[in-house]
Amino acid sequence: MMFRRREKRKVPGLNTTSTADISFMLLILFLVASSMDLDKGLARRLPAIDKTKKTALAVDSRKVIRLVIGADDKVTLDGRSVTMRAIRQQTTTFVKTNGKGHLIQLQTDRKASYDTYLHVQDQLAAAYNAVRDQRSSSLFGKPFEQCSREQQTRIADEVPVRISEVYAAAAGKTGKGGGR
Amino acid sequence: MRLYRNRNHDIPALNTASLPDLIFSILFFFMLVVHMRKATVHVKYQVPTATELSRLYNKSSVQYIYIGRPVNRLGQVDGKETVVQLNDHLTSIPEIRNYLIRLSAALPPEQRRQLSVSIKADRHVDMGTIMDLKQALREANVLNVNFTAVMDRKGQTE
Repeated sequence: MMFRRREKRKVPGLNTTSTADISFMLLILFLVASSMDLDKGLARRLPAIDKTKKTALAVDSRKVIRLVIGADDKVTLDGRSVTMRAIRQQTTTFVKTNGKGHLIQLQTDRKASYDTYLHVQDQLAAAYNAVRDQRSSSLFGKPFEQCSREQQTRIADEVPVRISEVYAAAAGKTGKGGGR
Repeated sequence: MRLYRNRNHDIPALNTASLPDLIFSILFFFMLVVHMRKATVHVKYQVPTATELSRLYNKSSVQYIYIGRPVNRLGQVDGKETVVQLNDHLTSIPEIRNYLIRLSAALPPEQRRQLSVSIKADRHVDMGTIMDLKQALREANVLNVNFTAVMDRKGQTE
């Protein structure tokens, strides 16, 4: 048998030098075709449109503060010009003292910029979060975010988000922003 | 020096056998962390900054709305007007309302309640557009909105 003699062949090792290149290619494909999960934002809940006309809720006029964003992006609180920091401080104390019955009216001019509007909304959210955190730490000894679902609903019930947005151009369309 | 006589002076080749494994681990990391882009954005926008941010939950029922300046094919801003894009094509606000009404009519009730909208608007957009959009969303009975913003690290610029 001629060719039984050369049976002891050495199997050459598989050349894997290009595996790195292939995986690099896949990596670059993923880098290009995808984006990082950076989708964060200010969550709000819009008021539902009520088909049936309801009677206006009776709100004590002392328990209402009125924020107005003018066309020139100036923010006034009850007629006085305020800074963003002051909005947060004043609404925090306001929500704390008035509890459930309070109401924040937010009126925005159509020419105002979205940036200002979102900053005001952010300050209001910060104020509510501060009040809720304080309430939850006195009740349950931990911040609002770490509370359980039941505890959160209980606190949200005690400190409801009551922001009513008045649309300057379309008068009469008012709504209430609920909790998150 | 007897000791060094038999020394081999060839430098051994660098063993790159584990290089693919390294790259694969980076690849798997990216595949887990990242999510695919679904839409081509035809709008140039720079979202405002905020501090009280929360994450967007159940991504499958989120509709994306982009508001800003239009861009052309090369990605350059062209035009000064404000345009609105829903998911992957430019539309107008009344069309968004009609689309959302049709969409929520097709969904079962429990998914309809979870339907939410992520608004990615440029910081220089005027509030008139935003108000019209919010009104349209209310009419379509899609009430969960999320105004996309980036974290403000320096604190308020006032």
